[in-house]
Amino acid sequence: MAEYDEQLQKLTIKLVYYGPAQSGKTTNLMRLYDMLRPELKGDIMTMETKNDRTLFFDLLPIGFRAPSGLLIKFKLFTVPGQVAHDGTRKAVLSRADGVVFVADSQSSQSMNNAQSFQNLADNCARAGLDFESLPLVIQFNKRDLPDIVSKDEVSARWDKTQWSLFFSSALNGDGVKETFVELLRQVYPAMERRFELHTKHGIKEHDFIMSVMTSTETGVP
Amino acid sequence: MMKETPIAAFDRELSIDDLLKGVNREKLLQALRSLLGESVCILNMAGDSVLGEYNDRIDSIRIPLTIQLEPVAYLQAGDSKVTHSATILVEQILKSAERYLMASNLHVEAVHADYEALQKKHEALMDSEEKYKALAQNLEQRVEEQVKTIENAQRQLYQAEKLASVGQLAAGIAHEINNPVGFITSNLATAQNYVSNIVKFSEQIQKELNGPVLKRVWDECDIEYMLQDFNELLKESVSGAERVAGIVSDLKDFSNVDRTEEATLNINQIIHSVCNVATNQIGQKAELELALGELPLTRCRPGHLAQVFLNILLNAVTAIKKAAGKIQIESGLINREIVIRVSDNGKGMSAEVMRRIFDPFYTTHDVGEGTGLGLTVSRDIIAAHNGTITVDSQEDTGTTFTIILPVKE
Ligand SMILES: Nc1nc2c(ncn2[C@@H]2O[C@H](COP(=O)(O)OP(=O)(O)OP(=O)(O)O)[C@@H](O)[C@H]2O)c(=O)[nH]1
Ligand SMILES: Nc1ncnc2c1ncn2[C@@H]1O[C@H](COP(=O)(O)OP(=O)(O)OP(=O)(O)O)[C@@H](O)[C@H]1O
Ligand SMILES: [Mg+2]
Ligand SMILES: [Mg+2]
Repeated sequence: MAEYDEQLQKLTIKLVYYGPAQSGKTTNLMRLYDMLRPELKGDIMTMETKNDRTLFFDLLPIGFRAPSGLLIKFKLFTVPGQVAHDGTRKAVLSRADGVVFVADSQSSQSMNNAQSFQNLADNCARAGLDFESLPLVIQFNKRDLPDIVSKDEVSARWDKTQWSLFFSSALNGDGVKETFVELLRQVYPAMERRFELHTKHGIKEHDFIMSVMTSTETGVP
Repeated sequence: MMKETPIAAFDRELSIDDLLKGVNREKLLQALRSLLGESVCILNMAGDSVLGEYNDRIDSIRIPLTIQLEPVAYLQAGDSKVTHSATILVEQILKSAERYLMASNLHVEAVHADYEALQKKHEALMDSEEKYKALAQNLEQRVEEQVKTIENAQRQLYQAEKLASVGQLAAGIAHEINNPVGFITSNLATAQNYVSNIVKFSEQIQKELNGPVLKRVWDECDIEYMLQDFNELLKESVSGAERVAGIVSDLKDFSNVDRTEEATLNINQIIHSVCNVATNQIGQKAELELALGELPLTRCRPGHLAQVFLNILLNAVTAIKKAAGKIQIESGLINREIVIRVSDNGKGMSAEVMRRIFDPFYTTHDVGEGTGLGLTVSRDIIAAHNGTITVDSQEDTGTTFTIILPVKE
């Protein structure tokens, strides 16, 4: 749940990259760190074991200031995908305002994707998040690899659902931004409703997204 | 909605105080002093010193220490290039402290979550254990009920069977005896007729008795006495036959015991017919004494009551082990209730046995000799008549069963 600090004029929004082990969550975050040009961008904090597997989480803080002076801060987290770290995964997911589910497109990973998605639903329930109304974007990553589930097949499975679907190749950055923009687009209405982003702080959906993408387009000094 | 988290969230904003917890303050201050001079200090956002001594030297500058986009503190020292470099250094130290703090806090949160989950599981387990316990208890109760139903059914079956077999036996005997008694009675009547003819004829002979041979033979055979006695014999036989016929009619009554219809009658009648049926079993073992008082007619199920009296009577017979056995059946009206008392001077019972005699299948007899249902069924029957059955017994002295039945018009 987004935290609003009236006194410090600060809104903190938590976004989480979820998915099975090795699907590319950390890679997504690293690409965003490279590609996004927001007004404020912190160092990416990664916590990996020696073979690249996230042990606790990765964190990328970014933010911008609204015309009203409100600091809007995004904390982008990744969860550890390994099955064993479920307690950590749940704790990282707690209080999330939006989720990107990063699936691994490789045919061999279908099972893991399904299990992880179920795990997301379960952990949402455990963390007190309403899975049905939670902003959630599905990303099928590693499209550059051979032996992947075809787009048609993936679409056939996901188009029936309420969630929007994106294909990506996080390694070279394809689809990473698009996925993130879609998440921001979904997160905006709830923030607008709760904190009057537009009426009180002068931020429309477009500004909300563009301020995160690049600082030059916001017009805020 | 977000659940209440009893422990601090790992991703909460950390203050400079939090961050410095993971750092050796002494060493940090020492290093900063040797780099930037004695006046160096770190101030929190409110302007209070958290490391080093606060001073307001005019030649010093304050540089924000930024963690996660925002300043969390200021480094204050003399204005020099080194101060700017030192800021970056301290920031890196704080970031590494932050990294460590977040990871350890997350670990705590995750463990707590796992613990909570475990606790929930435990609760669920306890819950289901409760349910199973309840179910088990329920099951026990249901089994008990089922057993009761079966016992009841068995008792009724036993009763029906016993009644049926007793009834059948009685009916068979009655039938077998009825015919011979019938012709015996009718033959006796004919014989009495014949005797009276012979008497008439002999009186005539006596009048005209003049031949010496005839007179001698007459006296020798004592015809006069014979004719007189003959009549007596026949009279006795007739009354004997009548008694047999009476028993047969009782047997016939008794053969109706498996019929459970209600009837209005005198209970003494039932006692009589039961005694007749049991005569054989009583045999030489005991002397049966009836002391039946005046009883009003009452509505009851005679077949069932007969079964009760028979059970009690046969138990009494079984209990008698010594010679000079005595069984007494009394009846009477006390306080407008029908009271029937069956006493014996048999072996009696211990208090222990007495407590259990009405329990289904309780018997002290050897396997095959008793089913232990006699008194259970009896109690059921008496209860169905809104009556009571009680026992009083003393070991080696005797037993008295008392049945009290309300009068039903
Ligand atoms: N070919 C290809 N490899 C990718 C892609 N995205 C990630 N990878 C690789 O997949 C491996 C795992 O990527 P990570 O980003 O560390 O995966 P993760 O989801 O963070 O994994 P965990 O932290 O263990 O949950 C790395 O070797 C990445 O280089 C992709 O789009 N294409
Ligand atoms: N008059 C009695 N004197 C001593 N013991 C008795 C007497 N009547 C009953 N009992 C005791 O009570 C027990 C139970 O009697 P009950 O008539 O129910 O069963 P039973 O006679 O053993 O078997 P059945 O079902 O064949 O009658 C007997 O086994 C006996 O020990
Ligand atoms: Mg990772
Ligand atoms: Mg008996």
